[in-house]
Amino acid sequence: MSREFPIPVSQHTAPLDMPSLLRRARSGDADAFEALVRTHQSSVFSIGYRMLNRRDLAEDLAQEVFLQLYRRLESIENFEHLGFWLRRVAANLAIDWLRRAAYGATQPLEAGAEVPAPQADEDPLLNRELSRMLGELSPAARAVMVLRYQEDCDVAEIATSLEMPVNTVKSHIKRSLTALRGKAIGARLITAEELP
Amino acid sequence: MNDVEAELRRALRPVEPPPGFAERVMRALPTQRPMAAVTPLPIARPTPPVNAWRRLSTPVALAASLVVAVLLGQHLAFERAQREQRAGLEASRELMQALRVTSQKLDAAYQAVQSAPAGAQEDEENRS
Repeated sequence: MSREFPIPVSQHTAPLDMPSLLRRARSGDADAFEALVRTHQSSVFSIGYRMLNRRDLAEDLAQEVFLQLYRRLESIENFEHLGFWLRRVAANLAIDWLRRAAYGATQPLEAGAEVPAPQADEDPLLNRELSRMLGELSPAARAVMVLRYQEDCDVAEIATSLEMPVNTVKSHIKRSLTALRGKAIGARLITAEELP
Repeated sequence: MNDVEAELRRALRPVEPPPGFAERVMRALPTQRPMAAVTPLPIARPTPPVNAWRRLSTPVALAASLVVAVLLGQHLAFERAQREQRAGLEASRELMQALRVTSQKLDAAYQAVQSAPAGAQEDEENRS
């Protein structure tokens, strides 16, 4: 019996050979498992990085997520479930680490933090400031925003992943966007006239 | 820029992990993956050869005890029936003896009454 997972089709469409890769990994094929890691490492690492704001911690977190995956491979139903599972475990583990170690909502972006190379039409300073402001949100709100705007998850999947009501997810998104806009205006990164 | 959401999407583009990340993950994996829902089979241990008599001694002893108990029960029941029968015959014989003695006494008394003189009979009637 296969379950339905709320995966946005546009971003998480599985390549054709992924089901066989998953089967081979399940049967103990190390190369297949490594291929799965390579396929998802960017997503898992990025969730950890946006949540924890440190590359070393993000790498530890991503490694822990893939170790958990290795132990739970039998429970992964299909490729879509794999992506959902990795995002869910990474986000929840990051929230757990933040709460336990009290990195706090004001953990600054680490010195020399890697910001993706800017594209032609974007403002690198704004990107950096938005990432920093995101780090000032509460762990749960940060996880909601990372899953929504980095992983392009819909509200239903975020609610399922973080085990919170859909309305709470919507509320986090609304409040976080308002706060980010306010901070961006305060920092003169944008002007009030630019708001929709 | 008029859309914070679009800027957020740009700012939160996925970041690649450090080089060699996948290799480090593979090195950190345990050597053997725990299999889900595997029940270990019981280990078959060689059993030492057992003497046939020792193997059968307990059931044979139980059967013999059962037979002895049944026979003993039957014997005791037979003995009790015999005893009751003898006691009944003895009681019957004594009853017959008692009846015989009583009958003889009554006969003697009847004879005595019949052979008594007539005057003695009248005196007896006047006195009463």
